[in-house]
Amino acid sequence: MHIPDGLMDPTVSAIGWIEFLVVLGAVLLLAGNRIKEKNLPRVAVLSAGIFVAQMLNFPIGGGTTGHLVGGALFAIIAGPMVAVIGMTVVLLIQALMFGDGGITALGLNALNMAVIAPLTGWGVYTLLKTMTEKGGGKSSAASGFVVGAAAWASVFVAAAACAAELAVSYAVSSGAYGIAATVSVPAMLGMHAVIGVGEGIITAGVLAYLWSVLPDAITSASPTRKVLPGLRALMCGNTARAVVAIIVVFALALPLYFLYASAGKDGLEKTMENANVAEGEPLIVSPFSYGQDYFSALFAGLLGFLSVALVALGMMKLVRMRGSRGTSP
Amino acid sequence: MIVVHVRSQGNYRLDEHASEVWFGKLDARAKLAGVFAFIVVSAILTRTELVFASLAVALTMTVVSMLPLAHLAKMYLAALPFILLASVSVFLFGGWERGIQMWARTSACVLPLLVLAAGTESFDLFSGLRRFRVPAIITTLLMLTQRYIQLLSEELARMTLARKARGFTGGRSLLDRYGLRIISCTAGMVLVRSIGRGDRIYEGLKGKGFNGELMPWKKSHITLLDTSFVSSLVIVASVLLTLQLGVAQ
Repeated sequence: MHIPDGLMDPTVSAIGWIEFLVVLGAVLLLAGNRIKEKNLPRVAVLSAGIFVAQMLNFPIGGGTTGHLVGGALFAIIAGPMVAVIGMTVVLLIQALMFGDGGITALGLNALNMAVIAPLTGWGVYTLLKTMTEKGGGKSSAASGFVVGAAAWASVFVAAAACAAELAVSYAVSSGAYGIAATVSVPAMLGMHAVIGVGEGIITAGVLAYLWSVLPDAITSASPTRKVLPGLRALMCGNTARAVVAIIVVFALALPLYFLYASAGKDGLEKTMENANVAEGEPLIVSPFSYGQDYFSALFAGLLGFLSVALVALGMMKLVRMRGSRGTSP
Repeated sequence: MIVVHVRSQGNYRLDEHASEVWFGKLDARAKLAGVFAFIVVSAILTRTELVFASLAVALTMTVVSMLPLAHLAKMYLAALPFILLASVSVFLFGGWERGIQMWARTSACVLPLLVLAAGTESFDLFSGLRRFRVPAIITTLLMLTQRYIQLLSEELARMTLARKARGFTGGRSLLDRYGLRIISCTAGMVLVRSIGRGDRIYEGLKGKGFNGELMPWKKSHITLLDTSFVSSLVIVASVLLTLQLGVAQ
């Protein structure tokens, strides 16, 4: 999944770098304190462990092999923010010391494997764990299934992001860069759906071993740094944080999506045009529009995305407050 | 020196040829700036003759660096599958010229990076990054992770040998549950064993005055050779970029 230099359209690479630096900056600000002093060697050992684990190949059939990505494993052990920093270190070493993955493509590689994979893995793990525990499933089999599913999702979503980046590069450069969607999407998703199974089995096995042999090897996954009171109140539960992690993954896709977005008519507009039906005057005229160029469309998209995310989080908070009020004596 | 202590441990050395050649003696900052500038420009070239010109420069740099070509070829082969996948898919949709152009462009970017990787001592590279204002937490983690990778690789090699000596041949299929369980336990065991050793190494470093900040492990000054190296690469990159953007026409 390591993208080399020269494969991606420069605009796509630049967007990847900007997004990665924004995420890394935020993570260093929020979690930088957690990996000082005592935790520093543990995080370095985990990063080295993921690096070495990536050297363990497993067969995926047809004579080809896959290897662990390790994003979910890192995030479940150390928490999503520490995992972002640790996976970034792994990718920097791979790029600078082994020439594995490019410099201009480092932003996209880091976005896929150091941001999207750990956040997805941790988000899915936390949500599934809460659901299974509520359903009474606390056995080792249930726990193994949850870890396996999270690891599979992390690889699959990261591969989907990589395939999308390749396809967008191809589309915006008229074929000068990237790989056509008809090749990149089935190839990346098909292969990584199988690789994800291996990742899931091995991640579940490693964590089962670690939890049974050395439970205190796990560094704290709860944030210690104070955040804004309102935000803190909203993000007090693991479920809310997992939802935020998954929302961040989707938000990262927006800048590339708007690059790929077509100005053509949608299905209903095309049908109305074919049937010679004209659109009537709207009852309410919105002060906002989707914008005519890339940046205004992106701004409108981000604004809409943020509004929907905040409303959804607020509704979750209300439901939880009502639930706790209902159960209190 | 603390970093010398970290650097001198372990038998595994990826950059073993770095100190033997002139390229390895260049200042890390000069190498990083020159190679990165060349790669960034090479990655955006789309005119076939310019792509091949940048590939020629990359090949020249590879040969002139005096690093063992077999060593670099082995590293290039590791990057080849993804380059070929991209080139073949572009060939299928855009014709042979675009396919070859994709291979040439990615190779022109990968080769200088391999020369940088093989021709620079790891800690030179990290202290160069620190001097370019990369956050201390990242460079310190890079240094420690690099040290622990040596530790874990040795541990993994020992355990793999022990596993083979006991006749383990499993793990050849995703359906081989026993084999995959053994691989998972091996990975878990490597982590467990390394955490203890990692803590001891860190305590040793702290005992020698390590305060969490990566310090340059040797004094280095920008020499005439460094300036010439950066200037030549920046000039080549500027010419290629100018021609690509059509300003020269």
